[in-house]
Amino acid sequence: MATQYSHCSSSSTAFPPSSFKNERYVYGKSVTVPTRAYFARWVSHDHSGKHFELKSSNGHPLNAVSFEDASGQRLPLSELGEPDSNLSITIVGASGDLAKKKIFPALFALFYEDCLPENFTVFGYARSKMTDEELRSMISKTLTCRIDKSENCGDKMDQFLTRCFYHSGQYNSEEHFLELDGKLEEKEAGRLSNRLFYLSIPPNIFVDVVRCASLKASSTTGWTRVIVEKPFGRDFESSGQLTRCLKQYLTEDQIFRIDHYLGKELVENLSVLRFSNLVFEPLWSRNYIRNVQLIFSEDFGTEGRGGYFDNYGIIRDIMQNHLLQILALFAMETPVSLDAEDIRNEKVKVLKSMRPLLLEDMVVGQYKGHSRGGKLYPGYTDDPTVPKNSVTPTFAAAALFINNARWDGVPFLMKAGKALHTKRAEIRVQFRHVPGNLYKRNFGTDLDKATNELVLRVQPDEAVYLKINNKVPGLGMRLDRSDLNLLYSARYPKEIPDAYERLLLDAIEGERRLFIRSDELDAAWTLFTPLLKELEDKKIAPELYPYGSRGPVGAHYLAAKHNVRWGDLSGEDS
Amino acid sequence: MSALYSSTQCPSSSSSQSPGYSSSCFYHGHQRMPISSVCTRRFGYRKLSLQFSRISCSNAVSIQEGAVATTVSPSDNETPFKKLKDELLSVTPPEEFTYVAGFDVKEDKSTVSITVVGASGDLAKKKIFPALFALYYEGCLPEHFTVFGYARSKMTDAELRNMVSRTLTCRIDKRSNSALSFGLGPVFALENCGEKMEQFLERCFYHSGQYDSQADFAELDKKLKEHEAGKVSNRLFYLSIPPNIFIDAVRCASLSSSSPNGWTRVIVEKPFGRDSESSAALTRALKQYLKEDQIFRIDHYLGKELVENLSVLRFSNLIFEPLWSRQYIRNVQLIFAEDFGTEGRGGYFDNYGIIRDIMQNHLLQILALFAMETPVSLDAEDIRNEKVKVLRSMRPLQLDDVAIGQYKSHARGGVTYPAYTDDKTVPKDSLTPTFAAAALFIDNARWDGVPFLMKAGKALHDRRAEIRVQFRHVPGNLYNRNFGTDLDQATNELVIRVQPDEAIYLKINNKVPGLGMRLDRSNLNLLYAARYSKEIPDAYERLLLDAIEGERRLFIRSDELDAAWSLFTPVLKELEEKKIVPEYYPYGCRGPVGAHYLAARYK
Repeated sequence: MATQYSHCSSSSTAFPPSSFKNERYVYGKSVTVPTRAYFARWVSHDHSGKHFELKSSNGHPLNAVSFEDASGQRLPLSELGEPDSNLSITIVGASGDLAKKKIFPALFALFYEDCLPENFTVFGYARSKMTDEELRSMISKTLTCRIDKSENCGDKMDQFLTRCFYHSGQYNSEEHFLELDGKLEEKEAGRLSNRLFYLSIPPNIFVDVVRCASLKASSTTGWTRVIVEKPFGRDFESSGQLTRCLKQYLTEDQIFRIDHYLGKELVENLSVLRFSNLVFEPLWSRNYIRNVQLIFSEDFGTEGRGGYFDNYGIIRDIMQNHLLQILALFAMETPVSLDAEDIRNEKVKVLKSMRPLLLEDMVVGQYKGHSRGGKLYPGYTDDPTVPKNSVTPTFAAAALFINNARWDGVPFLMKAGKALHTKRAEIRVQFRHVPGNLYKRNFGTDLDKATNELVLRVQPDEAVYLKINNKVPGLGMRLDRSDLNLLYSARYPKEIPDAYERLLLDAIEGERRLFIRSDELDAAWTLFTPLLKELEDKKIAPELYPYGSRGPVGAHYLAAKHNVRWGDLSGEDS
Repeated sequence: MSALYSSTQCPSSSSSQSPGYSSSCFYHGHQRMPISSVCTRRFGYRKLSLQFSRISCSNAVSIQEGAVATTVSPSDNETPFKKLKDELLSVTPPEEFTYVAGFDVKEDKSTVSITVVGASGDLAKKKIFPALFALYYEGCLPEHFTVFGYARSKMTDAELRNMVSRTLTCRIDKRSNSALSFGLGPVFALENCGEKMEQFLERCFYHSGQYDSQADFAELDKKLKEHEAGKVSNRLFYLSIPPNIFIDAVRCASLSSSSPNGWTRVIVEKPFGRDSESSAALTRALKQYLKEDQIFRIDHYLGKELVENLSVLRFSNLIFEPLWSRQYIRNVQLIFAEDFGTEGRGGYFDNYGIIRDIMQNHLLQILALFAMETPVSLDAEDIRNEKVKVLRSMRPLQLDDVAIGQYKSHARGGVTYPAYTDDKTVPKDSLTPTFAAAALFIDNARWDGVPFLMKAGKALHDRRAEIRVQFRHVPGNLYNRNFGTDLDQATNELVIRVQPDEAIYLKINNKVPGLGMRLDRSNLNLLYAARYSKEIPDAYERLLLDAIEGERRLFIRSDELDAAWSLFTPVLKELEEKKIVPEYYPYGCRGPVGAHYLAARYK
């Protein structure tokens, strides 16, 4: 039953909110009604409203991606799409790495899945001289087809590429953006014009591009939105500065700050698990949860691309954004609804309830050269793009606390590092021990071994599992820890879409739930800025750890200080 | 050391003390219970006298019968061994045990004689002898043991051995299987198994006699003595005989072949009467010859792995206990289904019916275990005390809350499946239910208003036994819209599949991966076959071993039995007096619709 719906068929934002709510039950006869659209009631929730360029209530639908009829069959876009609107997606920084590896492939995947509107154009914008053909040739090398239906993939690719164009220009030239505007108008051919700019460029030219694009290439009839990627500054002040600059040219609701971790399947699923299952919510507090661990590790270093990284470090690169966002989503109170503003309101509350980080709750590390199996792995400072005396952390572990009624005293432990022994991202919820456990003799004195643990493995090999104590079958009474398991690859045969697909589609639809609001960003920087300053002012030397190891031992001391054991290093897992 | 003791292979402890030394009492003194610890696996640990004068595994400690007055308080034993036990009982990964042999071998001075009364019967052949062999094979039987078959038919020892040998199989360890593919190990394992079989069969004997003849049992006694050769004698009688000769056999065995210096225990199988009165009469009759603690009423469902695990799940995991009440649980379902009918063996069944055969005992026992309050400890008396409390808090079953059915014939795929009344051993006009569904309620603070739905039937479309815990819907569910109006579809469910394919799974709502926000019900799964490589022992093995060890946790105490009958007797009487006609359902279908109406009433 579930598979009869396309996964993006839900984007029925062609209906004004009031009408689709009523329509819902027409085809909402099963659990599986797709509901992206339910979150998309942003117009009525538009908190800054007045500068907003497109009101769907004015009869200009945001977008007509797809729609399903009463039988649950999705009708092709060509029959249902909004014929009078046109979507232009401009990738600024089209020759960059992210554009090639993520953005174009994600756009193609959306097209392939019929999630893009009927009339759309993709523009690449960059400084290098390139023809449309050259762009297409460059892009085509990175496109892949979803494995499950690859028959007409070649055709689809060709169709997609004919919609791709290139415009060469300087990032700070209003004139060049004006030329782009001309080309866009040409493609729009008089239809209602919606424009999405994806800024895949270094932070120092963010503001220039936003100025030029906003002044010269905004849509006159539809909406104009801008997706920006991290870094959003490097501390509270610079972030505030950037936000102020952006807001000279854009309203808050035009700015889509992307954090691609929020687009990951298991992070999306976190709220579903919590709020649609009776069995989890009663446990979701300091009464039952002993600690929460947010773990990110990569098994490679900067590998010659440390230039950007060295200016930021792992705390800014991973913790302050990705891990903190997941934490907020994990710990928030139940929102009023699943609307973007309701969810982001709750997330901000969590961030504001948190104690700013103290130096003593943080451990930093940096990987050093290591030879193993006859192969020499370089140290961080061996990277030619990194200063020899850099003290930038490539590893960090931190203990954070939320001073509210639900989480008082529960340590939230974060760990992020490069060049570790494994590649993974996961959320681990360790429960308290069973009070008055009847079986405690079976565990001996180590109650830590006897606690339950819920693990959401974000990547790789997406899975949800719950570690339980179970009797080992047999005549004896021995207990072990077994898993109640949900391995995605075993349960769901379809490929899981990349986070960028989801986020691009959300931006097209005006769904802001997974983007970061400026007050969230401020609160996040408030937590980390004092500590980051202190680390830099005091030039605290990171603890060196060998490339490919489990990270510095300081992380264990930090965990031990809070009576925690890292779940990923317990030996039961990996 | 820990490796030694935590093995599933039942390492046992043996006492080097004299027989008069009692390791302790299960009853903490108020009633002296003989106990013999064979395997340290038990949780009556603190009562076990752990001595290290033993070989790796197997071996009996045997101690006194009630008559021999020795009392050692549990704590006396506990202290010296506590530390040791903590080490021994730590959680160990299932596949990591190794044997450490080489402790001193001490001459053991006790024996266990297991007499299977009704040795030529079906249960004996299919279950009891194979279970005894499995215990032997795993090294769980004491060093000195003898198995006697007792029945009326004339048979020699050799004939019995021949009969038994056909039913024995060797435990297939999947690890050996995988080793097989590498051309190692298993050949050895199988050879070993053949030897073990020979050794086991040498310990099996037969004695022919009448069930009501004290003289014949006296002869048996003589033979037993011969084998016991002056050692302390412990005797276990397994009564695998029809209920009408229970008492005779108990009388004769008790008067003529009780152990003079060890314990004597009697395992009895259902039916324990057919209502409160007959059950009480049976208990009274048994107690003329036996004390309550000599009677081991077996309910083999309690020996099933997943039923044993029920308490572990609940009491050793933080995440389940908070949910275990009316606040979160909407209903609990206990389901038993067989995919075959009586098939020519309906004679016994017709007199009892499915309610007595399955519900009043197996399902009700599971219910009590499921619903009980946390016991003081895992000791048999503490657990049974809690179970009785549940049973006594229950409302006697009302006729309104029962739906009964009987299967009728059904032709499918060219095969005609017979109706219950086509069975030649069943009267043509029989109204005996072969299917029943019932809603039961526990009127206590934890479970007030929560329906416990039972369903048991023969000749249904599949074969299974499971416990399903359906949780309430999420209040104020943010994702309501995704479920439409049918909140029932959105609830969590914990399923404990007792058989076949043992498994535990928790149905959760999960986001279907993809760009949309669609939810589905997925399972957090623990499939035993995938997780545990060893074969799961049969329930009879566990229960026989428990009886040998004097572990009563999984046996039914007489007050439990009384309470169980008081719940069912009125409705059984009413069904019979009013000659209520069962709803007919075709052989191989899902049972009568009445069960659905019943369930629907309690949503």
